[in-house]
Amino acid sequence: MSAPPLLQVDRLTIGFRSYGQQPRILHDVSLEVGVGERVALIGQSGSGKTVTMRAIIGTLPMPPGIVEGGAIRYDGRSLLELSRADRNRLKGTGISIILQDPMLSFNPVLTVGRQMDDIVRYADIRLGRRRRAADRRQHIVQTLEKVQLAEGGRILGSYPFQLSGGMRQRVLIGMALLNAPRLLIADEPGTALDVTTQDEILALLNRLVAEEGLSLLLINHNLGVVRETADRVYVMEKGRIVESGTRDAIFSHPTHPYTRKLMAAVPPLYGAGVTTVRNTRAGDMPAIAIEGVSKDFLTRGGWLNWVTGRFPAVRDVSLQIAPGDIFGIAGESGSGKTTLAKMILGLIQPSAGDIRVEDRAVSVFAGTEEFRKLIQIVYQNPGSSLNPRRTVGDQLAVPLKFTGHAGARIPGQVRALLEMVDLPADYASMYPHELSGGQKQRVAIARALSVRPRILVLDEPTSALDVLVQSTVIELLHRLREEFDLTYVFISHDLSLMRNFCNRVAVMLRGEVVEQGPVAQIFDTPRHPYTRALLSAIPVISEAEAAQKPKITN
Amino acid sequence: MSVLPDGAPGNSRMMTSRQMALWRFTRNPAAMIGAVIVISVVTAAILAPWLAPSPESAGAFVDFRNRHAPPSADNPMGTDNVGRDIFSRVLFGYRVSLGLVLGVLGVAVPLGVVLGLCAGYFGGWIETIIMRFTDIMLALPPLAMALAITAVLSPNLINAMIAITLLWWTWHTRLIYRIVKAQMNEDYVEAAKVAGASHGHILFRELLPNCIPAIAVKTSLDAGFVILFGASLSFLGLGIQPPTPDLGTMVATGAEYMPEMWWQAVMPGLAILYAILGFNLLGDGLRDMLDVEL
Repeated sequence: MSAPPLLQVDRLTIGFRSYGQQPRILHDVSLEVGVGERVALIGQSGSGKTVTMRAIIGTLPMPPGIVEGGAIRYDGRSLLELSRADRNRLKGTGISIILQDPMLSFNPVLTVGRQMDDIVRYADIRLGRRRRAADRRQHIVQTLEKVQLAEGGRILGSYPFQLSGGMRQRVLIGMALLNAPRLLIADEPGTALDVTTQDEILALLNRLVAEEGLSLLLINHNLGVVRETADRVYVMEKGRIVESGTRDAIFSHPTHPYTRKLMAAVPPLYGAGVTTVRNTRAGDMPAIAIEGVSKDFLTRGGWLNWVTGRFPAVRDVSLQIAPGDIFGIAGESGSGKTTLAKMILGLIQPSAGDIRVEDRAVSVFAGTEEFRKLIQIVYQNPGSSLNPRRTVGDQLAVPLKFTGHAGARIPGQVRALLEMVDLPADYASMYPHELSGGQKQRVAIARALSVRPRILVLDEPTSALDVLVQSTVIELLHRLREEFDLTYVFISHDLSLMRNFCNRVAVMLRGEVVEQGPVAQIFDTPRHPYTRALLSAIPVISEAEAAQKPKITN
Repeated sequence: MSVLPDGAPGNSRMMTSRQMALWRFTRNPAAMIGAVIVISVVTAAILAPWLAPSPESAGAFVDFRNRHAPPSADNPMGTDNVGRDIFSRVLFGYRVSLGLVLGVLGVAVPLGVVLGLCAGYFGGWIETIIMRFTDIMLALPPLAMALAITAVLSPNLINAMIAITLLWWTWHTRLIYRIVKAQMNEDYVEAAKVAGASHGHILFRELLPNCIPAIAVKTSLDAGFVILFGASLSFLGLGIQPPTPDLGTMVATGAEYMPEMWWQAVMPGLAILYAILGFNLLGDGLRDMLDVEL
């Protein structure tokens, strides 16, 4: 007989009362987290992961949420039957949580020290303990050392915006540990961070679980992350647990079709499943030629708004993109990849260097109707790139209207565009919020293609989408490229996706291109240490792939 | 229904956002009361000549035998110092008040909105000129300014309208400017530029639709305040002049007979309160329904 689990969710059923209806959000969800165990709950957005988590920590708004059945037991006590005060006493001391967004989790106008001290002080009050301020501070500094932040004193005096993303995430983990909890719940830790930073955060979580004897419940949608940080896995779909098992069992022999579909949708980094895209079109003139391009952003301030600083966003970049290429520009946030894309589109002017699209200088070519018919862009977040108050049809008509298409023929063209991206023609009368994320991105792609451009700049077109949806959008992009002889410039931080989607890749670091070449060469024999570091940090979903990643020695 | 890529937008049990908004509105008692009041005020103003028990009271009518009569079945709100039926005059007074609202907001809202759109979208020196001028106008005390304007011109309905309009557009400019500035960070503005859209298209087709909810709420709340502002001017003798039945003037004249013949000031006062309450409740209801922050 094994020890009783630390956390046990037993046939939990939750409904939400909204607008006179009561749809059921969770159906008989059961899961267990043992002492010292790492458990992951995976599923796509909207599958009910976060509702489950909030029910456990007691922050689910009720009403509208209603527990229709089931129980949550922590250390043998039934949480749903506890009084408010008893429940609050467990917060931070029994169960603690690391939230997803390290920026939103802080109060921006208070120092980190003040916010951490509040947590300790109020926990002391709840538990009837008394400690002096100096003792509390010493305790906080010790906790920060646990999360590998040595300069505790300096960090406590800073405001959240003065810390880097990785440091914020560490402080957040430190905060969760302040009152020595036994169960740590992590909601998508590191998702908002760059892959190398995320890798460090995951390593830290693993170490903490081992050293502090914590239990971990990890809520995540990234299968690669889950493989590196979980002993057991629960797969959730539409409010139901569809499959559960040990990590090895789930990853090597998934049985439920949904789990299999999820696994299949993750682009492999190495191995037999990798597809290598080739550019079969031959052309002597490059579609886009970038020669020694730099861009400095000036910071202004002080008296008379003089220039006070110079920030080089892009430094001396030269690239040749051939017609028919799917050219990937990889890099972490702040590497200058989006700035470079906007310069290609002529939206911002380079400080130095020359960009030519089909052998014509962008500096003079941009803004003309001919240029617009040649090159278009698909943005990262369709929620922002589609106007929420205009119908799909109206928005698709805009580029047509301003490239001299006859008004009477536009509705027919809009219908054809929707069909081209596999959407029914009657979607023209819908508003963006009536569409799912993937459908919105299809509309954005249709809008970019409406004037039949030959080059498309794709600015992280799938990063806001779930992995299953991502694979269908990628499929669509491949089909359209065949159909219309398109050239893609694909900007992304997702290297696994690039391995399977692009034929050439350039890796950017702090504004410079550190390495570029055919995709197989970059991934199989990376030369630059940064490329190697990036590749080795990518969470993959099989042992075989992990073994093929470049090794870096610290 | 055929199988759609990336999942259907929602199952049939879900409501559309428009239905949800309407549902929120009808479940909000305050908003429903506001809507009923506003409808009753508008109906009263339109149908005044037919609804009023004594339509002749609206003009320079005198009935000395019946002056200072307290509220009764014949005169629900009593009569005034020359024997006119106050209830009839209140109905006609709503005509004047709503006329003032239409005149003021019909000019001030479009003007303020267009200036706000331009300031937020174009930026640079256009923004500086429009917004600094708006700041100057906002710094002037409104009632004192309106009094000055109507005193220089002659006090009548049209001039009161002009005075209030000159002061009113600033609030809409500020509001719209702020909303447009926030929208300028959204990709759809850049996407429209990349698509080659004209300034006019971006201003009125892309940016303006996103301002409509805020404009609707603000305008509804404004309507009540314009009525109050007009009544204040009339009360001070610088608005609408007798014998035109105006609620503010009626309160001012009636005040001389307080407290014995209280109905002469209180009844028109309550009529003002009723209309303002209606517009404010409606505005708040719209704000909840359309989910806008002012």
